[in-house]
Amino acid sequence: MVSSAVAFVSRPFQAMSPNARKSLGLLLLAAIMLAFPLIHDDDADIDTAANALSYATLALGLNIVVGFAGLLDLGYAAFFAIGAYYYGIFTSFQVMPLWHDYWAPLASLGLVEKMNQGGPDLVHFTLSFWIALPTAAVVSAFFGVLFGAPTLRLRGDYLAIVTLGFGEIVPIVARNVDSVTNGAAGLNGIQAPKLFGYNFGIDAEPYYYVGVGLMALLIFVSIRLRDSRIGRAWMALREDETAASTMGVNLVRFKLLAFAIGAAFAGMTGVYFVAKLQTATPDMFNFNVSSMLLVMVVLGGMGSVWGVVVGALLLQLMQTWFLPQLSEWLHALGNVLNNDMLRGVDMVQWTQLLFGIILIGMMLFRREGMIPATRKMPALSFNAQHAEIKRGGFANLHNIPRWDTGTGNALEIRDVVVKFGGLTALNAVTLTVPDGGVVAVIGPNGSGKSTLFNVITGLVKADSGSIKFHGVELLGLQPHEVLEEGVARTFQNIRLFPNLTVLENVLIGQHARLSSGPFASVLHTPHNRAEEAKALVWVTDIISMFGNRLTPRAQQPVGGLSYANRRRVEIARALASKPRILLLDEPTAGMNPAETLELAEQIKSLHALGLTILIIEHKLDVVTKLADNVVVLDHGDKIAEGLPDEVRRNEEVLTAYLGRAARAAVMETTDAA
Amino acid sequence: MTSGDVLLQQLINGLSLGSMYSLLALGFTLVYGIMELINFSHFNVFMVGSMIAMLTLQALGVVGQETVMTGLPLAGVLLVTFAVTMLACGGIALSIERFLLRPLRAVKGPAAMITTIGVSYVLFNVVLLTLGTDAKNFPNPLPPIIFNIGGAVLRLREIMIWVTALVLMGGLTYFVQYTKIGRAMRATAQDPDAARMMGVEVDRVVMMAFFLSGALAGACGLIFGLYYNLAKVDIGFAAGLRAFTAAVLGGIGNVPGAMLGGILIGLIEAFSGQVVGTAWTDVVIFSLLVLVLVFKPAGLLGRLAPNKS
Repeated sequence: MVSSAVAFVSRPFQAMSPNARKSLGLLLLAAIMLAFPLIHDDDADIDTAANALSYATLALGLNIVVGFAGLLDLGYAAFFAIGAYYYGIFTSFQVMPLWHDYWAPLASLGLVEKMNQGGPDLVHFTLSFWIALPTAAVVSAFFGVLFGAPTLRLRGDYLAIVTLGFGEIVPIVARNVDSVTNGAAGLNGIQAPKLFGYNFGIDAEPYYYVGVGLMALLIFVSIRLRDSRIGRAWMALREDETAASTMGVNLVRFKLLAFAIGAAFAGMTGVYFVAKLQTATPDMFNFNVSSMLLVMVVLGGMGSVWGVVVGALLLQLMQTWFLPQLSEWLHALGNVLNNDMLRGVDMVQWTQLLFGIILIGMMLFRREGMIPATRKMPALSFNAQHAEIKRGGFANLHNIPRWDTGTGNALEIRDVVVKFGGLTALNAVTLTVPDGGVVAVIGPNGSGKSTLFNVITGLVKADSGSIKFHGVELLGLQPHEVLEEGVARTFQNIRLFPNLTVLENVLIGQHARLSSGPFASVLHTPHNRAEEAKALVWVTDIISMFGNRLTPRAQQPVGGLSYANRRRVEIARALASKPRILLLDEPTAGMNPAETLELAEQIKSLHALGLTILIIEHKLDVVTKLADNVVVLDHGDKIAEGLPDEVRRNEEVLTAYLGRAARAAVMETTDAA
Repeated sequence: MTSGDVLLQQLINGLSLGSMYSLLALGFTLVYGIMELINFSHFNVFMVGSMIAMLTLQALGVVGQETVMTGLPLAGVLLVTFAVTMLACGGIALSIERFLLRPLRAVKGPAAMITTIGVSYVLFNVVLLTLGTDAKNFPNPLPPIIFNIGGAVLRLREIMIWVTALVLMGGLTYFVQYTKIGRAMRATAQDPDAARMMGVEVDRVVMMAFFLSGALAGACGLIFGLYYNLAKVDIGFAAGLRAFTAAVLGGIGNVPGAMLGGILIGLIEAFSGQVVGTAWTDVVIFSLLVLVLVFKPAGLLGRLAPNKS
């Protein structure tokens, strides 16, 4: 009965497209939110709801910093305080400088007014709420950058403790700078907002509607950012900073951007919160607020926009509605059982204990939160999983344009020295990669091959030497600048963004080739839409080069892919940046012979398109198949260079690989042959 | 008091504060050194320690400031209280590790640290709900012996704190440097995987680190109560953050570094209270923490932590 009734009700919805269903859901939600004060005309409950909305907007801001960018900020309430005091100071009677005529222009704008309290004329700040809201975002964003800047080079756990420190300093300053903030007693007489002459006063309803509007705005901004180049860059640096920077993400800029936007959300909420409360005290912004917001984000799901909204609203409802209700029930039960302990219990005092339990419980049993940011994908069908080893290189190359190759040298490495303490990892290594050529670097373990890649891509500083790429000096550039020059790499021990999908991973390769900033991304400007569409087409073409290895898995998180497929995704990600040279660090490591052959031929077909390649490889058959030129490193020295076959016979190379005695044996057998 | 006396007095105060911060900082350093985890629950294990010490002293018949003991009874009461508090807090810390953190050991990211924040919350609120928020009169059986050094005052309790701190730190250093499990701890701190392959039981080492850090926090809770004559539910946060700053200042993961850092933070707190006023002490300490982390993250004596990249 019930199930057939459900089926009857849900039938029309199932016929709708997912997008239409989503819009309908949003419309319904908006209607309920807007109608709530009309249906339920209880000022206290509307006030509670308005408070809950402000926590939801705070949680949305913290989610940008913690959820999207992975920067664990434990002092987030500082920005809430900054927005609150900004509005409070410029609308209350706390700071009143002497009147002077130069205030007159501001007075005519309505920002200040002349006042006389029986003494000299004073200035009373009368900043409008509607001006304060956006300007608080700017002011808080500035502090976000200011507090974020010292933490840029810190690891995640240190960042947590430094932000905790800032989160404590701000309320302490508010408490101690009495003349500006009125100290522990707090600011009083903060103006209520006015709209077209209507004063909001102390009625909860208008604040509720402003809160709904603010929340809707910040949800919109969060979602637009999440699905943009900005959001992808944040998630990339959250997953793996090193890989993100070599794929073109400017770590400094994007971390600061996360701090700034997160702080802006909090600053706006601060204005809203004190305008509603008409007072601001230092205790409103202490560590408890920061950690309560963390509980909300953790409960809802880090990185999940709707999750954190639901988490915040739920916890607020629990505090202000459910726990008092529960206390009353327990009191009633106590009366029935004649139990004094039950009669005296106040569950609201248990709020923070429950917060602690929620944090622990979520971490132990459901780290992704109530509404996870990434949906679980269904397993692939047998057909979709089935892959055959393909011979002959990439098949779907019709959409990939040829690389323009010159005739000069692409990469010129000259006398590069890298030292780690007393160890010389690279000792005056010189090598050139001609435009359109394939050069292989071989050498025993510890010979400096990966260090060579790291120094080219800016991950390791060189002590001396020069690395020129098409005439541009790469030494001294940041990893993301090296990528911008057209140098893309893969890593020996695969560095993907495990919680992002194949498509998202490869899209990050396009990061440096796109230019939309946060405003364009939120507003979906024509330029932004055009470049996103183009990027998606290009990335799809790259993924489809790998045939049904990757295409059926485009929406799967890469963490669950097989080893060989992860290697392929990494190559696809590097190719997505349209590199002028591709640096492959042992691309076939861990692959079986058939897969190795397949990949070798695919690399060859890239070469045939004119792509310049520098490859580190252990498997000599791969090297022989691909390379025009082989460079051999041993203990940081270049010991040989030449055609693959020459190098194979080189005595020093054999000594380096096999030792002296074995070399003699090998030389004998080759001579005999 | 002459300015020389003031300096001497602040030196005495600073050394006493510093002894306590050192003991607490050692707890952060032991756990961080082995697991690279900032253990926020440490803040409130310390607070719980002061409560346990208070209840133990009361159970032993010490009432507020009225009961004064000397000689053997005093030594006996103190020893029993230290033993009970340290064992209890060690046990709490060990259970936190065993039941709440071990399941998360393999999980990347901030999950374990967030869990310790949750644990800290739980400890705080359990005490809050059972014992209340008011400052409690911490039972103190020490006789009110005072030495006047010029204008400065040195109380018996300060000497007791210094001696306790020295004994515990000496014992810990011996333990870490010269015992088998201490060697295993140092090996695990350098490279947990290699230590495991060489037969070190990493789980035992981690539990030992938590037990020791809890026991030291407990001892610190007791002397904190004896020093201030009070126990309060919110002492953990401020003291804990100072101790964490001390651990970072000395070089986190570094045992002598934590001791040095603790003493320095104690002195800085005492003298900055004199110079800029106690209302700004927290700002001074936090600013120092930020400055050290930004400009010298390895701390004064160098950081000893696992070589994970």
